[in-house]
Amino acid sequence: MNKKLEALKKEYKDVPIPKELDEIIAKSLPKKKKHRYVWPLGVAAAAMLFTTAVNVSPEAAQAMAKIPFVKEIVEVITFHEVKEEKNNTSIDVRTPAISGLENKVLEDSLNEKYIEESKKLYEEFEAAGENDRLAIEGDYEVVTETPILLSIRQTIQKTQVSGYMQHHYVTIDKENEALLTLKSLFKNDQYVKVISENIKQQMQQQMDEDPNKSYFLTKQDVEPFTQIDPNQEFYITTDNQLVISFDEYEVAPGYMGVVEFKIPTDILSEILVGDRYIN
Amino acid sequence: MKKYDVDTIFISCITENKDDFYRLAYSYVKNQEDALDIVQESIRKALTSLINIKDINAMKSWFYKIVIRTAIDFLRKQKKLTLADDETIDFLSKGKEDTYKDLDLHKALDELPIMYKTVIILRYFEDLKLEEIAEILEENINTVKTRLYKGLKLLRITITEEELVNE
Repeated sequence: MNKKLEALKKEYKDVPIPKELDEIIAKSLPKKKKHRYVWPLGVAAAAMLFTTAVNVSPEAAQAMAKIPFVKEIVEVITFHEVKEEKNNTSIDVRTPAISGLENKVLEDSLNEKYIEESKKLYEEFEAAGENDRLAIEGDYEVVTETPILLSIRQTIQKTQVSGYMQHHYVTIDKENEALLTLKSLFKNDQYVKVISENIKQQMQQQMDEDPNKSYFLTKQDVEPFTQIDPNQEFYITTDNQLVISFDEYEVAPGYMGVVEFKIPTDILSEILVGDRYIN
Repeated sequence: MKKYDVDTIFISCITENKDDFYRLAYSYVKNQEDALDIVQESIRKALTSLINIKDINAMKSWFYKIVIRTAIDFLRKQKKLTLADDETIDFLSKGKEDTYKDLDLHKALDELPIMYKTVIILRYFEDLKLEEIAEILEENINTVKTRLYKGLKLLRITITEEELVNE
């Protein structure tokens, strides 16, 4: 190559790479998907059982709640915390536990699920090799606490080059001691359609208002969003609004992260079982 | 094609070539902070249009294109864009072939109008093929060749036709 060009190329290639580059890139890139979370079968079955009982006889449930003896306070505590580091791999996970429910079957099944999950994360940490550079973080947070409701958000983040974040929600009726599923809130399966249509409208509106937002909505997208899963992740806010949550990549490019949609109560009122939770 | 795969390929493409992308951005703005901003902004833009990418194997070229456009936009906003005004070109063309000029070679490259500078960087520093450059700039190959010749001439670098295409 021509000498002058050679000199220019050398100068070009010698531009120092700032250490901030890695940071900026990690921050901007979507989080790498590791694997999809599968709700353990046992818990789902238990949930069906309790919610059915509440739905079939709300009066009975109300009556039960009024039985005059001193109830324990239903709360969330940290059951176990693990923090370890070895060969470029680290784990920092707090395992929540629900306490104070008289319904010990429900309490135990929820707590077992949390413990089980932490165990799995720990196994993953143990199995990771030096080159995996894996970091696992797990934490929980009470997002809603009213006299009736308790919603717990569990956040799991696995980082490998870039990270992937998951949110799982558990919402329980503290008075009736029942786990709420999305399905149990509604009279029939119509909710899937009603909620999905509303979410699509919200997506479109957000994209119209802000060109930086993007959802998988049009036919050009490989897997456009059509409807929610009947057991989509959800929680209920303190002011009794329903919020639907999607994992990263589920309905939007990774940089959008975990996305949530608040569903207006007026479009749900006709299909809700009652106004105890959402109003 | 699953969208997960596109994302994964994109992530590896950026992580593997991050230094190249940074240097390219730097060559336009000439300072670290702005170059980092451009890389970040380019990734953001790329992610919004990633679902529309046509050829997944040409992702690196596709991202070069985004970096270049983002850098040029940035310079335009900063009004730092060197326009290809006749005076500059005349000034650069008229000088004689002096040896001491080498000292100013880098300055000369930086002062070169962007259209010439870009092709020289992509061809000789990033070692891209003429076809790839044409694709990135959305011009035909002959235009790219002409710009290369002209750019090299302005830098008073002489090169054979063979070197231009094959090196």
